[in-house]
Amino acid sequence: MMKKTGIIFFPAFDWAISATHPEREERLLYTRDQMFEEGILDLPEIEEFSPRLASEHDICRVHFCVPSVSDQVLEAHRIAAGAAMHLGDKIIAKQIKNGFALVRPPGHHAMRVVHGNRGFCNINNEAVLVEYLRRTYGVKKIAIVDTDVHHGDGTQDIFYHDPDVLFISFHQDGRTIYPGTGFTYELGGPGAYASTINIPLPPGVTDAGLHYVMDHLISPILADFQPDFVVNSAGQDNHFTDPLGQMRITAQGYARLTEKLKPDLAVLEGGYAIETALPYVNLAILLALAGKDYSSVLEPEYNPDRFKENPKVTSEIHRVVGELQEIWANRHKADKFALANGAKYYQRTKPIYYDTQFIEEKQIEKVRVCAQCPGYITIDSQAYHPDGKRYHVLAITIPIQACKYCQEEGWDAYEQYKHDYRFNYVYLQDKSTDTFMMYRREERQEFRSDG
Amino acid sequence: MFIGIDVGGTCTDAVLLDGGAVRATAKVETQEDLLISLGDALDNLLKGIPGEKIQRVVFSTTIVTNLIAEKKYDPVGVLLLPGPGRTFMEFRQQDDVFFLTGAIDYRGREIIPLEEAELAKALRWLEDKGYQRVAVIGKFSTRNNAHELRVAQYIKQHHPEWQVEMGHRAGGRLNFPRRITNTVLTCATRDKYHYFANAVRDAMARRDISADVFILKADGGTLPLTVSEQVPVETIFSGPAASTLGVQALTPAGETSLVVDIGGTTTDLALILSGQPLLASRGAKIGDRFTQVRALAVHSVPVGGDSVVERVGKEIIIYSERVGHAYCLGGPLPTPTDALRVMGMTQIGDEDRAREAMVRLGAPVGMGPMEVAHTIVGLVINTVVTEIEQMFVEWEQEPAYRVWEVLQKKKLRPQNVVGVGGGAAGFVPQIAARLGCTPILPPYAPVANAIGAAVARPTLQVNLLADTERQIFIVEEEGYQGKLSGKLDEIGAVELAKSWLMKRAEKMNLLEYVQEIEITNRDVFNIVRDWRTTGRLYHISVQTPRGILGHIGSGGRLMK
Ligand SMILES: [Zn+2]
Ligand SMILES: [Zn+2]
Ligand SMILES: [Zn+2]
Repeated sequence: MMKKTGIIFFPAFDWAISATHPEREERLLYTRDQMFEEGILDLPEIEEFSPRLASEHDICRVHFCVPSVSDQVLEAHRIAAGAAMHLGDKIIAKQIKNGFALVRPPGHHAMRVVHGNRGFCNINNEAVLVEYLRRTYGVKKIAIVDTDVHHGDGTQDIFYHDPDVLFISFHQDGRTIYPGTGFTYELGGPGAYASTINIPLPPGVTDAGLHYVMDHLISPILADFQPDFVVNSAGQDNHFTDPLGQMRITAQGYARLTEKLKPDLAVLEGGYAIETALPYVNLAILLALAGKDYSSVLEPEYNPDRFKENPKVTSEIHRVVGELQEIWANRHKADKFALANGAKYYQRTKPIYYDTQFIEEKQIEKVRVCAQCPGYITIDSQAYHPDGKRYHVLAITIPIQACKYCQEEGWDAYEQYKHDYRFNYVYLQDKSTDTFMMYRREERQEFRSDG
Repeated sequence: MFIGIDVGGTCTDAVLLDGGAVRATAKVETQEDLLISLGDALDNLLKGIPGEKIQRVVFSTTIVTNLIAEKKYDPVGVLLLPGPGRTFMEFRQQDDVFFLTGAIDYRGREIIPLEEAELAKALRWLEDKGYQRVAVIGKFSTRNNAHELRVAQYIKQHHPEWQVEMGHRAGGRLNFPRRITNTVLTCATRDKYHYFANAVRDAMARRDISADVFILKADGGTLPLTVSEQVPVETIFSGPAASTLGVQALTPAGETSLVVDIGGTTTDLALILSGQPLLASRGAKIGDRFTQVRALAVHSVPVGGDSVVERVGKEIIIYSERVGHAYCLGGPLPTPTDALRVMGMTQIGDEDRAREAMVRLGAPVGMGPMEVAHTIVGLVINTVVTEIEQMFVEWEQEPAYRVWEVLQKKKLRPQNVVGVGGGAAGFVPQIAARLGCTPILPPYAPVANAIGAAVARPTLQVNLLADTERQIFIVEEEGYQGKLSGKLDEIGAVELAKSWLMKRAEKMNLLEYVQEIEITNRDVFNIVRDWRTTGRLYHISVQTPRGILGHIGSGGRLMK
């Protein structure tokens, strides 16, 4: 029997950040109209599924929600993440050949610690999926390719120290667009060097330029990495009509990209040209996933003569690709301990800004540089929430590949920090046992959840 | 007194209801000419009762279904305006298609104008091919019918005698390929259906029946016969609706029941959820074509009382086809009915012949007739139960597009398994036991379908879309597209939808059925451009309550 492309369409017609916010009820309305009118859900190559809810534990496997999951995560978020998980199940069970979670709200700006909404995201749908797949099915190597115009800084943050999750993001150069990060030198922590690849591109990239990046950089890297599962963070704001980005990609360009990338699962991220881009780009991506002819999916505004790439843009693309090709080719020469300057712990201090809610988070992230495993991580994070309350939390995450020593030391640290008066909350995430702990110091209450 | 008639593939069933009581029933064999069966059934029912006493006649007909299945409909030339999107080249294999330039978008804006020069070419193509029936369908024509109207008008101008159907009239919902099917089939069957409707009126007149005549639809609603002539496709697939409504009338109100209708070659499964038959989320499928016809969610299992049973090696296998009657009724091969006869679970047919059928299957491998019979019945029950489980999984997978829809989803489990149809008594108690439900075999189960037709009532829907930025509104069911005058808020949009429902009722002469109006959907979308709200989109759905005219008897519960 021919295997189908699975789709979960969840437009959340009853959920918005605010009435006039880009992330509002209307966002996927015209996409729905176009998909329904095309009769695409009747195609024998496509099967529609209904979403389910990600559990609190599924979210705790990835995030530290401050103070707790229910304070940061609404049902809409759990449905969007649950949709990705549900399709993941179907793909692993080989019931479908690939999938498209055409859902909102998006997730790729949500980082490991969640104090609020960042870049329209609360929880990271792809990360929840990845940790679920690793935990439930033992999937080893996963690649996430972020094709949104914005840097997928949340996804990068979550997998920055994980050598088994390759994160590749191309995006408009951070000097010209939110969130202002995603430069070529952000390559992952010492234990996961070159498992983060950022491809900052100048404004004005056309289909031709994008496919140069695809053919000369992304495809070869994926071929070397040999992932067991490929997730596409399928943002559509590189479209030539998008109000937030300044790129010039077309529906045809996105469809061909999908065809080359062959993701197991595509998850919708951004894209706010809700009339001029989304109905066409979503349709083209879905047709490409299902192996159907998409050659007639042309935007009304599309005029091929207007899509000549500026030579300066082209040469900048070539320069960036060249730089990253070299980094990738020499990645094995990088030594973990040398990258950490010989220190036992590798430390980053990160100011994190939550644009939607004007929250400023101060974070210190410390990773143990370990010869046996990626090392456990402690995060000291503080922020004032919109309600005026100040939260200072300490979170420990033990990686799924943790060695015995890192696991024990992680738990010891948790026990110690429980008595540290500086922190209101202490959390521990042990991915090697799928355990989540939370301690409210003032109330002396401890919660535990096991997968 | 009400009459209900269900014209099925093999049998035509009829009942005469007087208040909540069954006055008469009739069962005749369905003839090649449906009108003969209809006449026979009426005569059987009316014996001695004057035709004037009849207040209402509802029947379900398979005429359009048969026309389509046997491809006996008239050839149609198809003009498509697909615009950007899917290529739709596969439609060339089904229909004779001519593609035209021109496109409308999802909000009804013209994005590519018509090319007038192409119209002459299209016309010549139709003339050369000898078509006199033409279907014109544009993508998003339900949001703006200007292109379809222009093309149809051009053809009518040159050939006023041709029959031209337009997509926005034949299929008002979103789904271009299904709209194509609706339009082509409407065009192809309209004449033959009209002939049939005239003959029905004639048959009624000859029996002095002057009552209103209605046709049952696949969603369990009814249409006045004259109205159905505009939309003959709406009459397909009404058989399962008939038996489901019958069960609804024969069981207590408000319960959740699984309806198991075991026929000759198929078993139809339907669900009555808290007293209301469950609607399918997508339109009915006829042959290999998807339509926009609203239907109940029915699953067909290809097994029934007349299915052929064979032995392959040591294994007993039930095939999906029917070769003739059961062996005990003089048929050529063993069937599940023979097994039931041997087990004493039915009194149909000759017991010795039934036993002979079982012996024929079992003797070569040393199985006794009773053992064979048990095996066959077990197989049938397994097949049906497996399908029921699968069906519940599918219903749980029905898409949900709103947060509240996902949250309110719960596991569906029936209280009752209600059996109707010939094989019900033999199989339903065991099916119910497997599912942990109460088996019910209602009185009049063999004519439950005709009872369903008799108690069915007209249902009217209106889906209204209003766009205050563009100052337009659309009534999907009417294919109407109008201009808004002045401001419109949500309450105004609901009122507008209701007023169109009343208009529709009046036009169909159904005002007496519109005592209350339900709002089944009200979505409001802010149209925001550059962070400013520039308008609102209202999607409002209203309908008359679904349901039946009344319950029969005690809403019977014979078996506990
Ligand atoms: Zn990106
Ligand atoms: Zn974005
Ligand atoms: Zn370690």
